Amino acid sequence: MKILMLGWEYPPHISGGLGTACEGLTTALAKRGIQIDFLVPRVYGAENAPHMHLLGADSHRAIAEERPFRGFDALAKLIALEPSLATDPIFTAAVEGARAHARGAESLLRTLYVPARLKPYLDQTTYRELLRSGALRESDVDEILSTQIAHPIPGPPSHRLQHVRIPGESTREAGPATGAHYGEDLFSEVARYAMAAVRRVAGEHYDLVHAHDWMTFPAGIEIARRIRAPLLVHVHSLEYDRAGHGADHDIVSIERQGLEHATRVIAVSYYTRSLIHRVHNISLDKISVVHNGVYARETVEAYTEQRGSKGPVVLFLGRVTFQKGPEYFVQAAARVLEHVPDAVFVMAGSGDMLPRMKELVEDLGITSSFRFPGFVRGAELERTFSTADVYVMPSVSEPFGIAPLEAMSHDRPVIVSKQSGVSEVLRNALKVDFWDVDKMASQIVALLELPELRRVIVERAREEIRNIHWDAAAEKLVPIYHSVIHG
Amino acid sequence: MPSVCFYFEVHQPYRLKPYGALQVGRDHEYFDDGLNAEVLRKVASKCYLPANESMLRLIEKTDGRFCISYAITGVSIEQMKRHAPAALDSFIRLIKTGAVEIVAETYYHSLAALYDKDEYREQIELELGLVKKEFGQTPRVFRNTELIYNDEIGRYISDLGFDAILVEGADDILAWRSPNFVYRVPGRETRLLAKNYKLSDDIAFRFSNRAWNEFPLTAEKFARWVHGHSGAGDVINLFMDYETFGEHQWRETGIFDFLEHLPDLLFTHPHWDVLTPSQAIDRYPALGDLSFHRTVSWADVGRDITAWQGNAMQQRALSEVYALGPEIKRRNNSHLLALWRRLQTSDHFYYMSTKSSSDAEVHDYFSPYEGPYDAFIHYMNVMKDLKLSVLAPSEKQIGL
Repeated sequence: MKILMLGWEYPPHISGGLGTACEGLTTALAKRGIQIDFLVPRVYGAENAPHMHLLGADSHRAIAEERPFRGFDALAKLIALEPSLATDPIFTAAVEGARAHARGAESLLRTLYVPARLKPYLDQTTYRELLRSGALRESDVDEILSTQIAHPIPGPPSHRLQHVRIPGESTREAGPATGAHYGEDLFSEVARYAMAAVRRVAGEHYDLVHAHDWMTFPAGIEIARRIRAPLLVHVHSLEYDRAGHGADHDIVSIERQGLEHATRVIAVSYYTRSLIHRVHNISLDKISVVHNGVYARETVEAYTEQRGSKGPVVLFLGRVTFQKGPEYFVQAAARVLEHVPDAVFVMAGSGDMLPRMKELVEDLGITSSFRFPGFVRGAELERTFSTADVYVMPSVSEPFGIAPLEAMSHDRPVIVSKQSGVSEVLRNALKVDFWDVDKMASQIVALLELPELRRVIVERAREEIRNIHWDAAAEKLVPIYHSVIHG
Repeated sequence: MPSVCFYFEVHQPYRLKPYGALQVGRDHEYFDDGLNAEVLRKVASKCYLPANESMLRLIEKTDGRFCISYAITGVSIEQMKRHAPAALDSFIRLIKTGAVEIVAETYYHSLAALYDKDEYREQIELELGLVKKEFGQTPRVFRNTELIYNDEIGRYISDLGFDAILVEGADDILAWRSPNFVYRVPGRETRLLAKNYKLSDDIAFRFSNRAWNEFPLTAEKFARWVHGHSGAGDVINLFMDYETFGEHQWRETGIFDFLEHLPDLLFTHPHWDVLTPSQAIDRYPALGDLSFHRTVSWADVGRDITAWQGNAMQQRALSEVYALGPEIKRRNNSHLLALWRRLQTSDHFYYMSTKSSSDAEVHDYFSPYEGPYDAFIHYMNVMKDLKLSVLAPSEKQIGL
């Protein structure tokens, strides 16, 4: 069986969980004899994917299309002001590209045009603060945004919609208000990707086209139509998850087209399956659930780690956005502190709701119990996990959610919202409705006060995550492939 | 003349309500009255009332040749009185036929045997008093919570003067022996009746299991299996939860038809009859001593006590509740004592079990909570509040 898989990113050039998921899934599929051509917007050369054929969709694209870039100084300035950015992979890629451009090395410049950021790690408010302080000129910001490391701008949907790019449109709005939580030219990138993808696979034969998330749906629909192969669309997250009721109508409509054209839809959880049904009115019979896996890796023993505070540490780690439910974490924290006054709450991450969260913490009078270390990565991330006593993921809407598994692999007990796909596969986690802050607080207190609870959960979780692997996902997917091709 | 001996366990715990950390110090109502009432009424209408009706019919029809035995825990009698008095009345009517023997156990269906022997004795005495008062019987036979048993418990019960104890016929304990004979507590005259777990579980667990190669189980087939033991045993002990009839096995599975037909079919073989535990030990001699070198129960595949104390949470909760004993008893407050004892009911610890595989399904089925962790959290919060209130300067504060 030979399939064409359409992706948007592939490790190490990833911005969200999608790239990691594609790597895990394709590796497990290849082990089962599935031949895969994997098409991504651009192949950088650093990807390690010996198990399949990695195609770049833009190999025909002329360098001349690219905008001249003068943003290196602005980027360097940003790093000086916000050191945590130095470890952001997207950001460093941009800096590298800018540096290379400054040297006139055009080949490296291409890495700058990472076409889109699914889950931007950087924080628009950082830019705003920098702007306000006069550290950055507006033209610098403009420059940075044009390099596709644009960031979420909070605002009402109507305000955001007028900034949505129409494919092929070349003019852009002035100022930092770029609209949706994606890169500036995302829609044109999506269209370009579709066209390039169609050209790239012309004359090839595939038994099936497997497209991951909405950015690849236009390409998937067109290719499947031309080669008369069934289309399978894989939903890792919906626009609804990311933006709630502020969903971008254009993205929603692309999503719907993909779902409607597909012979079969794969959802990463039952939670997502029912959301697809509710939001897009797709028949449940058409949607199969294949839970994500994680890479088996050694759990990290971290009890001896030096920690900065005396009291127990409760961790939120993720983008500080609507989707991740940071305010419920803060509300629960206020209740926990009544019972465990020396508890320390760490909100690690950045995002459009961060200033509001800082205000809320202040309003509740619990500033001295809160830490906001910003975006953490690498060694800092490891340290953050290993100094926490409890990890909480209070997401409002989480198609799957890999972070709790990460915390579990650090031997941390976790609390996950029931509005997450991962809660379906976990037995050894505490579960709570994201809005039920009393119960969330009670669970946090219990984990802090009852060593037996922690011990049993951690020991059993260690065992459990070993069984959440990509092979199980591939086991479920292969029969679906067969039924789609032959049925 | 070989016999069949039926014993049914009747028990319903006081389930705790979801009790969060934020309630500690504020809320001194621990039990989920609504849920407990609902469960009791449901079980009464699905099981106790219709099953008692069947039993009564069978006893009358056979003129008492069909006879049975029950242990009915004090906490379930209390709850029947409150929420389903008709169920209690129907037990009383049944017992009046004279074909029903009441077996003793602990009033609170607790694990006190393993933690606090004085408390254990008091709970047995409480149950004996209640049985005498409600049913007019003085039990000769004892069964411990969930058939939890070892040699030490055997000697203790023997010292209390019981004539026989019901035990699980665990393979490793019986070894080459058959469960279908009467045994003796080593060094004592007290008899042991061992459950034939194969035949008991055919009814209690496998009856409606479509994946079972003997499905469907008919009364004819079951009687044939029983008769197949002719000449190879004295008494086949069929011990199970009474809720098997109508609750664990729904009416739709045909369990009541099975029950109604079984006695006649058992009696088609001229050599077989049905006895209560006391009748069985009076008729059949003890074949020898049976030593329980480990603690056995009738739960789960392992027939051990890991269902209640298999993980660190359960051990903590158990040691917590029993550690409160001296403090509680010093208070000399009957309400407080009863409250503490309700918290000893084994079900609380069973809900905290993290055992995996097929056992977990059984545990989940019985648990009112979302899982073992919630069960532990609620329980420990209640403990915390109880300790705060017990140690509080004035008990009047919380209305105890």
